[in-house]
Amino acid sequence: MATRIGVDIGGTFTDLVYYDEGSGQTTEGKVPTVPHAPEEGVVAAIKGHVPPAVIEAAEFFLHGTTVGLNALLERRGAKVGLIATEGFRDVLEIRRGDRTEMYNLFWKQPAPLVPRRLRLEVPERMMANGQVFRPLEEGAVAPIVAAFAAEDVDSIAVCLMNAYANPAHELRVEALIREAGFTGGISLSHRISGEYREYERTSTTVIDAFVRARMSNYLRRLDERLRELGFKGTSLITRSGGGSMTFAEAEERPFETIMSGPVGGAQGASELATALDIRALITADVGGTSFDTALILDGAAQVLFEGSIDQMPVQTPWVDVRSIGSGGGSIAHVDIGGLMRVGPRSAGAVPGPACYGKGGTEPAMTDAAAVLGMLGTGKLASGINLAFDKASDAIERVGAAIGQNVEATAVGIMRISASAMANAMREVSVEQGLDPREMTLLPFGGAGPLMACLLADELGMQRIVVPPLAGNFSAWGLLGADMVQAAARTRIMPLADENLAFVNDILTELFESIGGRGAHLGRDAEPSARLDLRYRGQEHWLSIDIELEDRAITESVASIADRFRAEYARSFGSTMNDGIEIVSIRATSRIPLPRRQMTPRPIEASGAAEEAFEAYSFRLGKRVPFRLIDRAAIGEAIDGPAIVTESTATLYIDAGWQVRTGAIGELILERKALN
Amino acid sequence: MNARSPIIHKAGIARRAGEHNADPITTEVVRHALNSAANQMKRALIRTAFSPVIYEVLDFAVAIYDPEYRLLAQAPSLPMFMGTLNFCIEAAVEAIGGREKLYDGDMLMYNWPYGTGSHPQDLVVIMPVYLRGETLIGYTAIKGHWLDIGAKDPYCTDTVDVFQEGTVYPGVKIYKRGELNDDIYRMILANSRVPKAVAGDLDAQVTGCRVGARSFLEVVERYGLESFTGAIEAMFDHGERVVRSYFEKIPDGRYVGRGEMDDNGVTKDSIPFEIAVEVSGSNVRIDFSLVPDEQGGPVNCPLPSTISASRVAITMLAGYGEAPHEGHFRPIEVVTRPGSMFHPEPPAPCFLYGWPALQAIEVIYNAISKALPKAVPASSGGCICSVVWWGRREATGEPWADGAPHPTGQGAWDGGDGGTMLHISESATRFTPIEVWEARNPWLIECLALAQDSGGAGRHRGGAGLELHFRMLEETNITTVFERSKNKPWGLEGGGEGRANNARVRMPSGEVLDIPKTTRFVVPKGGVLELKTGGGGGYGPPSERPREMVEHDLREGYISAEFAARHYPHAG
Repeated sequence: MATRIGVDIGGTFTDLVYYDEGSGQTTEGKVPTVPHAPEEGVVAAIKGHVPPAVIEAAEFFLHGTTVGLNALLERRGAKVGLIATEGFRDVLEIRRGDRTEMYNLFWKQPAPLVPRRLRLEVPERMMANGQVFRPLEEGAVAPIVAAFAAEDVDSIAVCLMNAYANPAHELRVEALIREAGFTGGISLSHRISGEYREYERTSTTVIDAFVRARMSNYLRRLDERLRELGFKGTSLITRSGGGSMTFAEAEERPFETIMSGPVGGAQGASELATALDIRALITADVGGTSFDTALILDGAAQVLFEGSIDQMPVQTPWVDVRSIGSGGGSIAHVDIGGLMRVGPRSAGAVPGPACYGKGGTEPAMTDAAAVLGMLGTGKLASGINLAFDKASDAIERVGAAIGQNVEATAVGIMRISASAMANAMREVSVEQGLDPREMTLLPFGGAGPLMACLLADELGMQRIVVPPLAGNFSAWGLLGADMVQAAARTRIMPLADENLAFVNDILTELFESIGGRGAHLGRDAEPSARLDLRYRGQEHWLSIDIELEDRAITESVASIADRFRAEYARSFGSTMNDGIEIVSIRATSRIPLPRRQMTPRPIEASGAAEEAFEAYSFRLGKRVPFRLIDRAAIGEAIDGPAIVTESTATLYIDAGWQVRTGAIGELILERKALN
Repeated sequence: MNARSPIIHKAGIARRAGEHNADPITTEVVRHALNSAANQMKRALIRTAFSPVIYEVLDFAVAIYDPEYRLLAQAPSLPMFMGTLNFCIEAAVEAIGGREKLYDGDMLMYNWPYGTGSHPQDLVVIMPVYLRGETLIGYTAIKGHWLDIGAKDPYCTDTVDVFQEGTVYPGVKIYKRGELNDDIYRMILANSRVPKAVAGDLDAQVTGCRVGARSFLEVVERYGLESFTGAIEAMFDHGERVVRSYFEKIPDGRYVGRGEMDDNGVTKDSIPFEIAVEVSGSNVRIDFSLVPDEQGGPVNCPLPSTISASRVAITMLAGYGEAPHEGHFRPIEVVTRPGSMFHPEPPAPCFLYGWPALQAIEVIYNAISKALPKAVPASSGGCICSVVWWGRREATGEPWADGAPHPTGQGAWDGGDGGTMLHISESATRFTPIEVWEARNPWLIECLALAQDSGGAGRHRGGAGLELHFRMLEETNITTVFERSKNKPWGLEGGGEGRANNARVRMPSGEVLDIPKTTRFVVPKGGVLELKTGGGGGYGPPSERPREMVEHDLREGYISAEFAARHYPHAG
């Protein structure tokens, strides 16, 4: 229950949530993001919202940031030199032969992070079984380092063929680079990823080398500023694969933080699902430009083992959060064939939706919501007064092009957005062999609560849980992040008794390599392991959790095989008779942070605070009277339609839904039959 | 091979008669939902398939059709396949005796080449979808490439009739009312060199069709059949308007493109051919009536793939980057002459149907370049440069097989240089990572590199071809299919030619043999197979390439000093 501060940097706002052990209260705050110096936004948020005594007492600072991601997206990283096996320097540029936009005849692969002249080759060759086919020509390394020095290369990535099977040559190259006098960062592919697929591993290694210096500088500056504010605890940053790592470790493995943006939300959802005992939950995080959704089963988000950023693959654990370009700022337009589309272009923070009155003239989803009364009477908590006339004008222009009036067009914008989001949610759940109708919807983000009833209707869901602090939920999620370290290695072999000893040897090595990264804070680490298994002959595998005793597998092969078959049947609806093989072995070490308590806020009797006005009901297909209620005033069950306001989000409750406050301050919405 | 008079085919089925009320909102929502259903089919297939040809190479197509065989939605997969599925479904349903012989839970299998447009290895699984078990609302279908279906060789370049090309399943029920038809299943296993892989892939196709049917039904149930039907009519109309708006901008006229195949696989003569593109207002007609007669070797392209090639060529240009459906095809007409190489009749061999089909796409662009050069790229390497490998492992005696297409340089265009990737007819396909290959097959790969000086010179230069060399650690059989090994990819508007494709073997004896098209060539242990894929053609005169761009290409090693001096003297 230690006191902790969470800060999540987004594109527009820097969100803060802190938990004070003394008072047992959780408090939120929001400040504008400072794009050129993100740490200043963090400092401003802390200074502005956290009392000095709490800063001093805080044991943890938990951080989610897009610094590494932005460095990558904006190509503002280190000058990287790549050392490859002779014959393979072009792997990074050739990629896999496919087009990201398959229906675009003119699509071309983007320029790689390392230009061709800085991709140099060493004579050497490892085989897939780890045997040396051609020894390393050691004399080749120094001239390469000299060539890099002449080009002012900041950091070197080394990715040799089959290094996942035997890293000896990569390690020797590293030593020779140092002998040649290079002092910058070196990223070796086998340390980044022990898995096969040379393009994906090279891409990940190069990304690591590219963001390393920038990330390290940022983390050091931020840590310094935190110390100046009086913070004495441990600083942690979220990992793309879930959990968090210390700043020191993040400096060593920056690629692991690169997609940590949406992870806070998924993590918060997992924690909430556990606290409320919800078995299957699906998240809907609606922001200004994007929609993120994740499936949470038995209190855990799904983890994938490869992702991609800006058309570049990253081979690292990855919380399975799907994004589409749809959010409050998404713009409605009429395409060349005369059909209305919504997004993916967004009005962004500037000029923003037309109704913000900051010069936007194109109709955004928020304008449609405003026109339909879904945002209440127009006084947003953030202090913006909605300009309904501007929203209406913007929508009218698009409506005229498809022969619809303002109201029908606005309804259309909301329905199209909701259907695109619902499809993403459907794919995330159906892929796991599960039906979304039996799940609970967890909406959050600035516009999540606004869309909740529409999404639930699209998917036929019966139950919605709106978390406390819904608008800042991602930052809240950061507060519950355990410290996690992971390592994996590809070793293809039959799942057989005689191979278990070999698997255990690899596990020992993996746990040792994790231990070598340090920063265990003297607390007990909880080891766990997974085996990636497949039927012999298949390529795609399922990752199965394996029981460990003293960091070794004691479970029988028969029992592991049974669980694989059961999982396969659940995912694909059938099983096969073929032999099972092991593809990769994964080790994870988790250091839990002390649990926090979730205490509900007292309900504030509101009396006359309710206002009545008209808004559009999607279930009834017309405008009807809605109640306008403050979130803190909801105690007894209330029937929709209603608009519920709180400081960072607006909840739209359609007719046929009933709302009440739950055990930890969450709002529970349940579908009722319409009269 | 009697030459007969040409026939005009509509590439898209016209609007259904009568009033269909649909609001634009429901239309857009239904369009999203159908695409999502197709994507779910694709994921289920990839995740359960056995062969790398399916899960890595994406040699398949998944789609959803209405009862009139109109394309409702497809997931990104193999464009050439996607354009043929309606013919496959229609032919399979007719083969079993028509719609009245179909029941809920049935699944059909079909691979008769003149009905699928493909070789017999490309097998279609079709599932009729019924609302409340009664009303047929359409079909889900998956066409996938099976590793082996009992042809004279696992992959052939020299067949002389269809009966050498594999076992034919002329529309049979593999499931009857949900029950597996064991008789057929055992026949499938008995007629393949790799029965396990084939059984696994068939199961994956069945799973995919079922997943698709479930999602498709949900869409129809959600909106009701009547408003669903209205919405799809409006969706088709929209797609049609999108493509028409593109052709309105192309000047009216008849434009003739020229192409050439190296040979027909059996005899060595080259096969020049012409395709005309006629634009009239917003209509476009692709005329294949000028092409040569049916060939005695397997480079005949059955009608469904001829129409598919036309659909692919046009929608890639005029579809504004969206997944096509039936409406996009409506402005297109295709003219063929029965008995010709783009409309062969049984039992003409057609194992290599894909090669004339993808040549046709390049030739259609060549024709359009004569109307509006800016609209299209110069020629790509013009081939998918396929290799199929097989053998028995030394240690275990176990049979193995693998196959893959490979990237070539892409043509430059008015908007920029060409890249290096797979042919547009396989635009979503990936080739296998080397480390995955080496973990699976007895190979050591010596290089995967961009070939210097291989792209055509020009104001914009063509993409580079590849050097990909395989050292065989055990004796291996190979079949190679590299077209355009004699003809270099053309440039446009004064741009230079790219290098031609080639495959060659360095024997352990030191002998070097060119084998661009060969069947069951035995590479002994220690031999090296060298793939040399073509470069893209250049666009615009090389003298207009800015000096700093030439210097950049030199510095990065894409071109040599000698190439620069010869083609870009102004930058010297």
